[in-house]
Amino acid sequence: MRNIIVLIQRFYLFLLFLVLQVVALYILFNNNDFHRAEFIQHSNDVTGYIYSKRSSLSEYLRLREINDELSLENAVLRSERPENFLYIRDDKDTVINTKTLQRYVYRTAKVVNATVNREKNFLILDRGKLSGVDADMGVISNGNLIGVVRSASDHYAVVMPIIHADFRASVKLKRSGVIGSLQWRGGDPRIADVVEIPKNIPVTVGDTILTSGYSTYHPAEIMVGTVETIDDETSNEYHVLKVRLAADMRMTSQVQVVGDLYKMEQDSLLNLVRQQDAANSRK
Amino acid sequence: MLLTVGSNILRIAFLILLQAVVVSRIQLFDGLILPWVYIFGILMLPFETPRWVTLLVGFVVGWVMDYFSGPMGLHTTSCLTLAYMQPIVQKFIAPREGYDSIQRPTIQSMGLPWYLTYAGVLSFIHHAWFFFFEVFRFDDFFYQLVHIVLSSLATLFLMTIGQYLIYNSKSAQL
Repeated sequence: MRNIIVLIQRFYLFLLFLVLQVVALYILFNNNDFHRAEFIQHSNDVTGYIYSKRSSLSEYLRLREINDELSLENAVLRSERPENFLYIRDDKDTVINTKTLQRYVYRTAKVVNATVNREKNFLILDRGKLSGVDADMGVISNGNLIGVVRSASDHYAVVMPIIHADFRASVKLKRSGVIGSLQWRGGDPRIADVVEIPKNIPVTVGDTILTSGYSTYHPAEIMVGTVETIDDETSNEYHVLKVRLAADMRMTSQVQVVGDLYKMEQDSLLNLVRQQDAANSRK
Repeated sequence: MLLTVGSNILRIAFLILLQAVVVSRIQLFDGLILPWVYIFGILMLPFETPRWVTLLVGFVVGWVMDYFSGPMGLHTTSCLTLAYMQPIVQKFIAPREGYDSIQRPTIQSMGLPWYLTYAGVLSFIHHAWFFFFEVFRFDDFFYQLVHIVLSSLATLFLMTIGQYLIYNSKSAQL
């Protein structure tokens, strides 16, 4: 017994170090929803305050650019107004549109904090559950893909951008419509990879990559980027495409959060089918 | 004594803010160089600080930094390792007669070669631990190594400049 006490006295520092290290590593590797929620809650208070101050300062310094961005977007939207179009008369006089339902809604939000130089980057938006932003919603900026909302508190939301090591999105080649998978392997925040496009599909440098719309996160046909280099050495079956992202994560300050009004329906249908499949395979 | 404690707390708080608001925004070569200068606050703890205090300070500093720059736990584990290694490194490079109670781990007090070894070795330990646990895989090993070495050199550079700017021989007592 006395030996143990002597041992502890001799190594108490190392023991203290071990105990604290275990705590730290446990938190790091169990970085689950609990910690993320806690993180957002706190970013609501002190760090959120500090980061909002900083972002308002840097935003002030970039007012001219932001103005240009917004007026450009205004021009684009104005050109889409119905009175700008010549309508070719149909056989009907009035079209009461009951054939289409609105599927996606867009909400604007401001980026209050972002990292771009890490392996697992994130963005914090100044809108949360109270203004309709919730987990698994898509995020775009000027029509370009940014990422997906990972979780939201009442007033803030954390976005997993394309430049996060765990980010995946279903994308397609605009030319042929072939589906691939978008991911990012660290390094340059302007370049991401598209994999899983078979080698028999012709791809040329400069091809446009769009979202496929196969997930409920993003609508189809959202701009992702253009092919910069094509690597056919790494894999036997697939192209590895380096894609220059259309959105520059380092300059993004205004974003739109895309909500899918039918997400619930689609997800619950999928779940139902999965449950049936699971039940069938058990029989 | 109280003055020393207070000035260390102030310094650490200032450095964490500086790191979060200014330095973390530095983007050199697409994130290849990413200095973590807030560890300066731990490096500047006086020699006679009890080791368990250093450990706890490291833990708390890392914890606070994690709130600014997630994921939670990453800075905590790196700072803790730094705080554990700091007295060991100090012992390794101690002058023959040991450390004086009026000496501080600064350039003015210990000289440039001692300081560069001390801060260089420790920031390398911290950055290696940090970037390893951030990625936690071994592919791109060479890239990671360059990442670690260049980032710790940048940290060392900023900390050395900071010392020349802030400290003069009179205030080196704190």
